[in-house]
Amino acid sequence: MTHEFSYHAPGSIAEALALLAEHGDEAAVLSGGTDLLVNIRSGLSRPRHVVDIKRIPELKTLSYDRQSGLRIGACVTMNELLSYAPVTEWFAVLQAAGVELATYQLRNRATPVGNIVTASPCGDMSSPLLCLDAEVLVVSQNGSRQVPVREFITGVQTTALAPDELVQELIVPRTYAGAKAGYKKLKRIKGHDLGVVSVALITSNGTVRVGIGSAAPTPLLLPDFACGTPAEEIQAAAANAISPIDDVRCTKEYRAFMVGVFIGRLVEEVGA
Amino acid sequence: MKRIRLTINDQLYERDVNEHRTLLHVLREEIGLTGTKEGCGAGECGACTIIVDGLPLNSCLVLAVEADGTTIETVEGEARSGKLSPVQEAFDKHHAVQCGFCTPGMLMTIKDLLRRHPHPTREQIIEGIEGNFCRCTGYEQIIEAVLDATGQLEQKGAITHA
Ligand code: FES
Ligand code: FES
Repeated sequence: MTHEFSYHAPGSIAEALALLAEHGDEAAVLSGGTDLLVNIRSGLSRPRHVVDIKRIPELKTLSYDRQSGLRIGACVTMNELLSYAPVTEWFAVLQAAGVELATYQLRNRATPVGNIVTASPCGDMSSPLLCLDAEVLVVSQNGSRQVPVREFITGVQTTALAPDELVQELIVPRTYAGAKAGYKKLKRIKGHDLGVVSVALITSNGTVRVGIGSAAPTPLLLPDFACGTPAEEIQAAAANAISPIDDVRCTKEYRAFMVGVFIGRLVEEVGA
Repeated sequence: MKRIRLTINDQLYERDVNEHRTLLHVLREEIGLTGTKEGCGAGECGACTIIVDGLPLNSCLVLAVEADGTTIETVEGEARSGKLSPVQEAFDKHHAVQCGFCTPGMLMTIKDLLRRHPHPTREQIIEGIEGNFCRCTGYEQIIEAVLDATGQLEQKGAITHA
């Protein structure tokens, strides 16, 4: 890293929030660093203060119960999530998409919360969390608020998070616990890669939900379908909702085409 | 500047480091352990893989200050009193090393893989080294070496290059 900054490692949420309130735009929050440190290295991000939140015990929360559902603290890593029994048992879509997120080594650092805060259109956790109606618990010195992921991600790498706010955790309600699910991701190579386009599909209690990544500025959630809806109808709704672009990874036509293909395959494999 | 303490391959190191330095750079340039390599510097290639508190990580994406107080394993800890580790032996025997740039990272990834799966299948090996690029594309030899080191070479009727 050639860009210099000062490093802070607060031991409590209150301390972290004080640092964010003091430094605002000039501070960047560090957990796994798999996006932040890449961006600092390339010059895309030039924070004067880096606030490492990994020494804050509350942010390591990973719990599941009837009342509050699944809670994923800001510093829970992807591999911790993927080996957490309630996730393997009840949240198949997080499991299916999670193993597609980068490599094993990176998943030891990368976090689900970071994936949402980065808000890349191709973030692997976004469309699954949309399907599950997950919410983001945001805290600041002025209190806390809970924002649905749907509203939290506002554009390409932009979120509803203010500079003095911190994401404490993701809350996944039990509504779709136990849903059957699948995740399809188009990549340029067989190994790990950023998604060219991706589709998540869950089905539970007579409802089919479909989330789509990399086919619009933000990840999308289609309106609910009743179980038994023919794939063609879901494909038509998807074609209407997406607004794919051409970029270095793929053309917009191919993206649109593959969204349809993936929906067809998921309806067949997961059963709708 | 911040003072950090690292236990690397059973030895304690204390250094004053700049807060923006990566763990990889501190290992190589300030501690002098140059076995660990920098390929991409951005989490893509795995050349910089080391084991920190039992977890394989890309050390190019860890700040040295973050690692304060941790226990680290690097490739320098593999051979003991001049004797190669079984996986290193197998790499040698199967010509799994060509230019050698990916090797230190590969060895650390495989070390962790074998802790989790002492007898990995071919698929588990392929998946296990997914985060480590070999630009010389010697993957087949690397897979054979791991199968051999774990006593399973007969599994695929592989060719030995010895
Ligand atoms: S140098 Fe760290 S992943 Fe390439
Ligand atoms: S041996 Fe040359 S990169 Fe792997």
